[in-house]
Amino acid sequence: MDIERPLSANERIKQASNFLRGGIAEGLTHAETGALSEDDGQLTKFHGFYQQDDRDLRAERGKQRMEKAFSFMVRMRIPGGIVTPAQWLTIEKLAKERANGTIRLTTRETVQFHGILKGNLRPLMQGLNAVTLDTIAACGDVNRNVIATVAPWQRDHYAAISALARGFSEHLLPKTRAWHEIWLGEERISGGVVEEEPIYGRTYLPRKFKIAVALPPHNDVDVFAHDLGFIAIVQRGRIVGYNVTIGGGMGMTHGEPETYPRTADVIGFCKPQDAIDVAEKVLTVQRDFGDRSNRKHARLKYTIDTIGLDRFVALVQERLAVKLTAAKPFSFHSTGDRLGWAQEEDGTSHFTLFVENGRMKGGMLAGLHEIAGLGIGRFIMTANQNLVLADIPKAKRKAVQKLLTAHGLDGTFSGLRGSAMACVALPTCGLALAESERYLPDLVTRLEFELERFGLREDEITIRMTGCPNGCARPYISEIGLVGRGPGVYNLYLGGAHEGVRLNKLHRRDVNGDAIVAALSPLFEAYAKQRKSNERFGDFVIRTGVVAETTAGANFHENLSPDVGN
Amino acid sequence: MPPAFLLPSTAPFAEEQIAALNRVISVTTPEQRAWLSGYLAGLQAASGGQAATPAAPPAKRAPLTILFGTESGNSEALAGQARKVAAKLGFAPKVVDMADFTPAQAAATENLLVIAATWGEGDPPQRAVDFYEALMADDAPRFEKTRFAVLALGDRAYAQFCETGRRIDERLAALGGARITDRIECDLDFETPANGWIDSTLERLNAEVGIKEAGASVIHVDFARPGGDSPTRARPFEAEITEHVRLSGSRSSSDTWHVAVSLEGAGIAYEPGDSLGVVPSNDPALADAVLKAAGVAADDTLRGALLDRLDITTLTAKQVEDFARETGTAALPAEWAVGRQIIDLLETAPGKLSAEQLTALLRPLPPRYYSIASSRKAVPDEAHLLIAGLRYTSHGRERAGVASIDITARHRAGDRLKVFLRSNPHFRLPADPERPVIMIGPGTGVAPFRAFLQEREAIGAGGRNWLVFGHRNYTHDFLYQLELQDWLKSKLLTRLDVAFSRDQPEKRYVQDTLWDVRGDLYGWLRDGAALYVCGDANAMAKDVHEALLRILADQGKQDKAGAKAELDAIRRDGRYLRDVY
Repeated sequence: MDIERPLSANERIKQASNFLRGGIAEGLTHAETGALSEDDGQLTKFHGFYQQDDRDLRAERGKQRMEKAFSFMVRMRIPGGIVTPAQWLTIEKLAKERANGTIRLTTRETVQFHGILKGNLRPLMQGLNAVTLDTIAACGDVNRNVIATVAPWQRDHYAAISALARGFSEHLLPKTRAWHEIWLGEERISGGVVEEEPIYGRTYLPRKFKIAVALPPHNDVDVFAHDLGFIAIVQRGRIVGYNVTIGGGMGMTHGEPETYPRTADVIGFCKPQDAIDVAEKVLTVQRDFGDRSNRKHARLKYTIDTIGLDRFVALVQERLAVKLTAAKPFSFHSTGDRLGWAQEEDGTSHFTLFVENGRMKGGMLAGLHEIAGLGIGRFIMTANQNLVLADIPKAKRKAVQKLLTAHGLDGTFSGLRGSAMACVALPTCGLALAESERYLPDLVTRLEFELERFGLREDEITIRMTGCPNGCARPYISEIGLVGRGPGVYNLYLGGAHEGVRLNKLHRRDVNGDAIVAALSPLFEAYAKQRKSNERFGDFVIRTGVVAETTAGANFHENLSPDVGN
Repeated sequence: MPPAFLLPSTAPFAEEQIAALNRVISVTTPEQRAWLSGYLAGLQAASGGQAATPAAPPAKRAPLTILFGTESGNSEALAGQARKVAAKLGFAPKVVDMADFTPAQAAATENLLVIAATWGEGDPPQRAVDFYEALMADDAPRFEKTRFAVLALGDRAYAQFCETGRRIDERLAALGGARITDRIECDLDFETPANGWIDSTLERLNAEVGIKEAGASVIHVDFARPGGDSPTRARPFEAEITEHVRLSGSRSSSDTWHVAVSLEGAGIAYEPGDSLGVVPSNDPALADAVLKAAGVAADDTLRGALLDRLDITTLTAKQVEDFARETGTAALPAEWAVGRQIIDLLETAPGKLSAEQLTALLRPLPPRYYSIASSRKAVPDEAHLLIAGLRYTSHGRERAGVASIDITARHRAGDRLKVFLRSNPHFRLPADPERPVIMIGPGTGVAPFRAFLQEREAIGAGGRNWLVFGHRNYTHDFLYQLELQDWLKSKLLTRLDVAFSRDQPEKRYVQDTLWDVRGDLYGWLRDGAALYVCGDANAMAKDVHEALLRILADQGKQDKAGAKAELDAIRRDGRYLRDVY
């Protein structure tokens, strides 16, 4: 690669960090500040957390002679999003005792704790460790939490793909003991033992790396939005292997057209036993060829577009013991979750709980506390920020239903609301340019009013909002995307595929809530009147010429309508 | 070198005057001193006054020991007054702190004037505890050769009013002491009755034991109002508020303010550790409610008194009795007053008082004292106060702290506060700037330590400084956080430990932090560190005291008695000082 450009600052921090230790432990001893040093703030991501500050309070702090209201956001590593009821109770307890009392389900099938003070980090980590959970590599330039389609109602297949998700996570876990030393107080191995990261090396990856496993026809994980994806291929009732996808990714930067979201390419097929090796080799090619100078150009998607897909695949094939073969046919029909009860033939049931924007608090936590107290089944977090109460035995379904009803957790929602996602954004996320989680519910209410006028209340249209262009809620691959540009102002994207195979396209630039409703209402009306049978909203707006189709990340910024606005 | 020509503290001048004269005299040459004495003698003769005859050997003066036990400084101030009166009458008075005295020493005195404060729920002041306990012990000495009188200070708002003074008085009599006169028990408005009692008691004693001609040799000058024109409680300085900022975050469960006042021209030369007295005004709404409940038509004079002169909140058992008597209503039990205020009492039988009855029922409005949070060396002509607005509910009614809410909610920058100085000579930085200090100040208790740090920064003191701060929530209650960060960066502050009680499931307080760092704490004490505690007297100071005893036991590998002896030694060494309220 062009090696002449200087390395990014993060590369130096990683290099000097002694396998991600840095000065974190020392920083914890400084009682006078709720913050850690800036450099250590880069390293803590590898430990699963970000330093944030309450942006609602920024204006008042100076006058109060206090520093910014720092706290930490801690993300867990939960491959496949599956925890036991006992683990759930621990998570809930820690959220109340050590965080801000809420649990945030994320699009990576995991839990985020918010508002953790520096002094509570260790007790939180130790509390998680006590129930065999951790936060290692939940953020940072490493393989992040591995997600998989949540389909406990397909028992055998689900067992296979969730085991594979765990396998990826374990195999690609950093080997440094830094997390255990800093958070659990594990003794440092001294003398002779030279630590190494056999897969990552001292500086880990150029950027984050995300893996998803999909079980068609559900594309709840948005497999094409990931650096690396595995699409299960089922033949004669069993998973015979996986189609491999590479190069998906959401993040971009406003005003920098050389940054763009990208849907992944399908590059071949592997057998189940070879999947972990495929993951390792894709990751190591990215490790070796990714851009370590410019972090905005460091994701796998840019590596592929820089060196070419064929060359990238060839580099992977070279390193593989068992080569990829031709991809097999598959099809997806949706990205959403199937809310409510699902029952298997033997009476085992699963309840998918709608969690608006993944934020759980108060009554919902109280209800789940009681359900977890029954000690049955599993709690599974979905990539749509919902929660599945899985594997409820026939005899217990009534008890669970009673608790759901008692706590008001079995309500019904419009198709739009059930298909909506928002990132956290304000007040905690340092990147947010606009509100997201705190605003989308209100906007959806306004849009519901429009949809009902046209008889579209039950239509599942994916709508996703983020407070910045980095794409945590995967807004560029939804039928309606809203990406924050500034306070109260968003870019409106349309035309993503309902089943998550196609990016959307910018429709209106810098629009506020009123303008969003004004832009969408006539389109809803036209859709209600003119759609073809089973035609999805995202397909309709392309067919009727509202927006041009985005066929690849490289043309995401092109073919904009003149009506987009400046 | 100590100057050889100082005036003795018994000279017939106010302390401040003695100090001022000493400042001049200590640097004079022998020629200057000779000139001055000749000049003054000539002046006196020329004015036709009686020529001084200092050369005559004075008759042996009767000794008088004035023993005080103080928490807030009032007893000590009165002891100083008593000393001046006694000196005037020809006694050889000596003022001693119970902290530095034993019952055996007391029993050896001939004439003993005790001025004892009661603290909290009937307890002796902390520094007087040892003396008090030894006096109450079975092996206490006999006081047969001692004449004594006791002035007890207290607060009628507490059930055990003047308990300490009462018990000392009874005990001295039981141990054979001869009462000069009956004990006086003084409430918060102690000044006039206390001074009157001191005068009459000493005159009576003088009649019994004084040297008759001694009075003739004393130049009669009235020093009853010491301090010249320094502002006092009765004549406070109207200080302009220059800064009025809430430090607590908007989501804090407390309401703490930084209030800076200008002392320009006030003649208030405070030292770090001193307090500023603030004469507050009552809540106008409450004053109106009190008038209404009493059934008194409000004229401006009466309303003004209720706003600025009378205590319309605190309710004492005596007032409950008085009210029943005046109104002819059934007496409520004494404990009824607990947690209630004047307004609650008036509303039990509304509309039954005349204006005179109402004012007679009410006590004078006491000032409130705030530890000064600044050093004049850092902010000349200013004093900074750290004030937590107090609001709570009791018996179904919202209550508000008189002064704290007056200052924080009814004042703003540009307004004026009535202030005066209350010196706190027992809470001073070490004389040695190299001596390490440990400062334990949770909540508004951090105030004097900000003053200490400003002072030590200003004078370039080299001693190490360790602050232990605590509050409820780290994010919203970290008072002066940025300043403390700067002081850590500049190394003025050597170490900072914190305890925030509500940030984790288990409550954490400063005493828990002290225990966690006990090894280092012990090391500092062994290095001669002076340890200061400021803040809440009822819980915090006691808990910290217990923690210190446990730490000394643990680290010194000794039993409880050993730890207590060690802490006592540290205290006697002037290295364990408290300013608690």
